[in-house]
Amino acid sequence: MRVRHNEELEVEEANVLPVMNIMFLLIPALLLAMEVASLAAIAVSPPKFAAAPSPKKEEEKKEEKPLKFKVFILDDGFRVTTASQQEGAEAGKEQDSTGPSIPLAKPSADASDYSRYNYDALEAKAKELKEIAKHETVVTISAENDIPMAVLINTMDAVRGSECKLLAIKEDEEIPPECLFFQPIVEAGAG
Amino acid sequence: MSMTPDELFKLKKEIKKAKRRHKKEDTANLGLTSLMDIVAIIVVYLLKSYASDPILIQPISEQKIPMSRMDMPIKEGIAIYISSRELIFNEEQVATLTDGELDPNVVQGHVIRPLFEKLEEETEKSKQVFEGRGEEWVGHVILIGDEALKFSTIVDLMYTAGRLEYSEYSFCIIQKG
Repeated sequence: MRVRHNEELEVEEANVLPVMNIMFLLIPALLLAMEVASLAAIAVSPPKFAAAPSPKKEEEKKEEKPLKFKVFILDDGFRVTTASQQEGAEAGKEQDSTGPSIPLAKPSADASDYSRYNYDALEAKAKELKEIAKHETVVTISAENDIPMAVLINTMDAVRGSECKLLAIKEDEEIPPECLFFQPIVEAGAG
Repeated sequence: MSMTPDELFKLKKEIKKAKRRHKKEDTANLGLTSLMDIVAIIVVYLLKSYASDPILIQPISEQKIPMSRMDMPIKEGIAIYISSRELIFNEEQVATLTDGELDPNVVQGHVIRPLFEKLEEETEKSKQVFEGRGEEWVGHVILIGDEALKFSTIVDLMYTAGRLEYSEYSFCIIQKG
């Protein structure tokens, strides 16, 4: 059989235009549904549902005196208390409810300026307490009624530790030292 | 019969003319294959990122979600949106806020009544779904709040959900950095 080389083979091209139209409609639809910012979540517990530690950690914790680390967010700073004595309380008194133990970093700043609190000092205090109670991970946080959510979140960040990356920790892994108090209990009217 | 060079030239010219006359017009085809490849890759990427989110959070208007360094992903749960103006549950406004505070008429002993009623219905449905699957129901509330939301309102929300046996709470945040 003779093959005619000169004759070009005519290939019918698929009509991709309708598919393209659908694709171009899908792109804005998916872009709209997509997260613009990366969202995450801070797990918090109400007082009676505080996360129970693992049995191994529980045994280790028995050797330690319960810390009962509490942070009360006031309009003029943080009041930090532990089971022993409140920071800044007078000698002989367990607690001094009159003022904050960590005053504001920017006292003259407006209430809407969430950076007016001294989060660095709070983190330093949390680090100090972590040295005493290495297996403690729970912190009770309470606030005055008018305290905004952003301040509450920043406080949780400070007591958790600025270098703490919880996502990288596997279930049976030891908690790294940079993660301080990462299990917050939100309590109303504590102090 | 032999032709003169002039005649031959004219004949050739005529043939060329005839060829040109019968020649089909060239149509330029737009090459869509490469564009199609790019678009397909974009669509697959977008679909994948869409499918990997267990829960879709879409902030409501006039809401500024607080920022945090926390990196834990959002677990599946019931989402409650609250801005400085409204409380939204299941895409429905259940209460309004003035100056970041809930209307005192809707809050009774820390319980936000309209939210409690809506949440109760949703909880029943959710419990039935879990029962059908043979799994234990664990109530999880995701609070998507405004950065200026007052602590007293957060407490009211948690208390309301707590009355319906919700034991897990998450504060939705935007990751810093």
